[in-house]
Amino acid sequence: MDAGRHPNIEVLTNSELTGLNGRAGNFRAQVRKHPRYVKEDRCTGCGQCVEDCPVVVPNEFEVGMGGRKAIYTPFAQAVPNTYIIDKDHCLNEEFLVCSNCATNCDRDAIFFDDKGEDVEIEVGAVILATGFEVYDTSAISSYGYGLYDNVLTNMELERVLNASGPTQGHIVRPSDHKPPKKIAFIQCVGSRGEGGEAGCEYCSRFCCMNAIKDCMLFKQHEPDIEELVVYYIDMRAAGKGFEEFYQRSFDMPEIKYVRGRPSKITEDPETMDLIVQVENGETGEIYHHRVDMAILSAGAVAPKSNEKLAEVLGIELDGNGFFSLDTKYGSPLHTSKEGVFVCGCAAGVNDISDSVAMASGAAAEAEGYAAKLRVEEEPVEIKELDMSGPPRIGVFLCHCGINIAGVLDVEGLKDSVANLPGVAYVENNMFLCADEGQRMMQEKIIEHNLNRVVAAACTPRTHEPIFQDSCEQIGLNPYLFEMVNVRDQCSWVHTNHPETATDKAKDLIRMGVAKARHLQPLYRSKINITQSVLVIGGGVAGMRAALDLDAQGFKVYLIEKQGRLGGMLNHLTKVYPANLSAVDLARTMVEKMKSSRVEVMTSTELNSISGFIGNFDVSTTNGDFKVGAIILATGAETYKPVDEFGYGEYDNVITNIELEGILHEAKDKIEIRGGVPETVVFIQCVGSRDPEKNAGCSRYCCPTTIKQAVRLRENGVNVVVLHRDMRTVGAKSEEHYRHARALGVKFVRYTPERLPKVIGNGKKANNVEILELALNRLLEIPTDYIVLATGMVPNQTSNSHLHEILKIPQGADGFFMERHAKLGPVETTTEGVFLAGCVSGPRDIADSIAQGSAAAAKVACFIAKDKVTLDPTTCTVDQTLCRACGQCVEICDYLAPSLTMISPGVMAAQINQALCKGCGTCASWCPTGAISSLHFTDEQINSMIDALFEEQKV
Amino acid sequence: MAKSAEKTKKSKSKKVFTPNIVAFACNWCSYAGADAAGVNRLQHSPNFRIIRTMCSGRVTPAFVLKAFNAGADGVLVSGCHFGDCHYIFGNHKAVEQFDKTKALVKTLGLDERRVRLEWVSAAEGPRWAELINEFVEQITALGPSPLNHKKK
Repeated sequence: MDAGRHPNIEVLTNSELTGLNGRAGNFRAQVRKHPRYVKEDRCTGCGQCVEDCPVVVPNEFEVGMGGRKAIYTPFAQAVPNTYIIDKDHCLNEEFLVCSNCATNCDRDAIFFDDKGEDVEIEVGAVILATGFEVYDTSAISSYGYGLYDNVLTNMELERVLNASGPTQGHIVRPSDHKPPKKIAFIQCVGSRGEGGEAGCEYCSRFCCMNAIKDCMLFKQHEPDIEELVVYYIDMRAAGKGFEEFYQRSFDMPEIKYVRGRPSKITEDPETMDLIVQVENGETGEIYHHRVDMAILSAGAVAPKSNEKLAEVLGIELDGNGFFSLDTKYGSPLHTSKEGVFVCGCAAGVNDISDSVAMASGAAAEAEGYAAKLRVEEEPVEIKELDMSGPPRIGVFLCHCGINIAGVLDVEGLKDSVANLPGVAYVENNMFLCADEGQRMMQEKIIEHNLNRVVAAACTPRTHEPIFQDSCEQIGLNPYLFEMVNVRDQCSWVHTNHPETATDKAKDLIRMGVAKARHLQPLYRSKINITQSVLVIGGGVAGMRAALDLDAQGFKVYLIEKQGRLGGMLNHLTKVYPANLSAVDLARTMVEKMKSSRVEVMTSTELNSISGFIGNFDVSTTNGDFKVGAIILATGAETYKPVDEFGYGEYDNVITNIELEGILHEAKDKIEIRGGVPETVVFIQCVGSRDPEKNAGCSRYCCPTTIKQAVRLRENGVNVVVLHRDMRTVGAKSEEHYRHARALGVKFVRYTPERLPKVIGNGKKANNVEILELALNRLLEIPTDYIVLATGMVPNQTSNSHLHEILKIPQGADGFFMERHAKLGPVETTTEGVFLAGCVSGPRDIADSIAQGSAAAAKVACFIAKDKVTLDPTTCTVDQTLCRACGQCVEICDYLAPSLTMISPGVMAAQINQALCKGCGTCASWCPTGAISSLHFTDEQINSMIDALFEEQKV
Repeated sequence: MAKSAEKTKKSKSKKVFTPNIVAFACNWCSYAGADAAGVNRLQHSPNFRIIRTMCSGRVTPAFVLKAFNAGADGVLVSGCHFGDCHYIFGNHKAVEQFDKTKALVKTLGLDERRVRLEWVSAAEGPRWAELINEFVEQITALGPSPLNHKKK
């Protein structure tokens, strides 16, 4: 939606790249625009044609569970919202001249003779973001998909759970439309297979979290659900906050996790119930589980169209059909062709937040070629609407599918709002934030001469800017918009009390309307910005960010606490997945840094930062300077085991990081602390997945152990890995895991209730005792060395120092919080300050590099301009009321207020708009009421309090 | 169905006291924490209405007194934990303001337990839900505000 309305983005849908000539920075791309048969400039999206079309075919977006016409839009929020004719099904193609759509189109938008168009465009770089397709589960016939009605895929379930889906969010089983009571999820369908028909070898990464989330949603939708069983191999909750989410699901007794891969599903022909045959991988018990519905967690596969695209571009695909990476830079974004970048699932399977970071990263890399194409922004003149006269308030109630309307009585709300003073118009909408909802809102504002707008929807923290933009686009001052939170703080948290929740929503909307009556238009001002950047931390993420920004011509300062650049890379030997030498990678990057214009300051510490977006004053132990933006790339630390698994007690118990150093030093023979190992036991999750120490999964340790185990095994060492789940997500990880098993590395599972015990005497550990689950017997594994796979924890001292200086919120885990867990992975709540790498959570090298590039892209977005727009919701002084007591000057931590002489002998306070953050504390302090906190004035807040209790008074 | 529900509610409201609570929540931490409770679907008592301010330091004693005068049975002011304030020390200012508020509330003859100043961070959805339940329980135990009672 944002992309669709961005002035610098031209979206070519229904189009295909057919050729690419030239070289990076100067490509000529041939694009085939396939015929749409509907003229985009004429179609208004009224929908008459769809109504009149007689052909109904299965709807691809609903995974075939709903219907669509032969003229259609792919889905509700599609951009552009222009219809398209599916010629394979249109009757006109069959010589049965129908032409219903063309005859009834008021705008003459239908154009059956559309031949499409071939266009050539000049581009500096190409980004591949072709995504993934879902594995066709009918290939595994033993699960009966396509044969039994009640076997669904995860994608079908997503649609069923969706309020705008084919069942309006009601969960029913297809055979009898009754709500299911017992459901089985079958994981890894088409993933972690043997290749070919049986599915891809890699892990599809998203399906574990998807199943957990769906179980939680199921339970929420259907409180009487009896059983939700997830059959899995390893539960791969590997991502920031994922493990914590998984742990939370344990609070719901209906959700059960059983290790086991079902061998087949059969159907009871009478009841249409399903019988899942499975062996419990932990107890060895084979049993039949009768369920109402089975969900196949289908994996992600590469789109077939990648082949053709790879040919056009002259680049290679990997064995799985995804675009091959040039691993030279350890970057997950570069293809083998210069100027062609890849992000998201086009490069292999990635989850949403990583895909978003990769996308920004790819944009940064592309900007390196396109920076010279930057043009001055053309000021858009929008004629301001007439906002004078008494308030004419429009109230828009969003259903948010069933998120709001499923709980609140929206019709009742509508009635209650209509008679409120000042309300001129009320309207409901399924998804107010969708393009269509926004357009409707804009139309109604104009049509009804509305001069104040209230939206009752989700939270203003995410959506207020979107609605404000829509107001602004049509010339309504965005500060005449007020948002009421009836989803996050109402329907979502009072789900089981619909009528009290509706009462609450009525009050909240009445309060919002009251505030709206007192809203005043506010105008944004602009200030100059310093077009330079400070990068804190010289690890991979920091260096990548600095190099990308330098390539775009920005002045970059990089400070590093240590005496040299490289960070964690300096402690590693090989970097998975490509087994790239860490030293080489560090050297390449450091050399690039040297030949760049980046001002690198090693052995430098940060003293303080003051200022605001675009104008930060930085003070370091190596001098002071001004920058416009800041990137935090200070990394994390590895967990230091204390009195655990004999670490510190026995000399032959070491951490994975120590082993990394040893492997790096080793030439022909691997020697650990003077001895040649015969057997090495790895213990996973030391300082991870433990609510007492570090609740999250550290993500890097499983693939690292595999890498180290393979290296040891290749040198003839016996290797045993003790783990809870092997979480080999990410590029090539699963393949490496498979390779390790083929080499004879043994994997034994343990549970947190029964941790492995290290037994030794003197300074030497001799055995590891573990409860073997299948045998239900204690095993003693004799070993020479024990390696603890330590987790990644935040760097407490550095994080609290930075937190103190910059006020970026830290999560419960101690890592810095990103603006949005999925959609804003490198941004913070403080404008002008960004995050890259492990400073926001555990990450491996490749992901950190992608984040470094992503942060660079986000910085470039605003320092490319020489001015920054200031938020007008600041404080102002009515100097006629001010008696110059100076209290505001005293209490403001931003030095925004000051006392000046306004006329000879008369002092009064004034507030610097660029320094004021709009907290409003001075307004609450001012003894004379001279200070107004704009958009949160006394009048506005008092009116809300009055409105809340109005009802009771009447 | 909605209608019958309305009826039961009305007959209930005569017998059972459900408190009216006004909660001032700062935009960056507590309001976000209340949103986080929503994102995690943490169910809690609905007997409160949030008024969003940018900072807890914005909440003057006058707002709290106005709320009581208008009919509130309890008022919650909630901001960021110390050291976590988006505006550096806004929450420290909130403490100073709150001390004044408390003194005024007492002067009015109200039980000082009817006002509370709490810290809830953006990540603390569960804490927000708990806090609301606990405060609603506390105000329910205290009964209707004497100021409110007089009005009726």
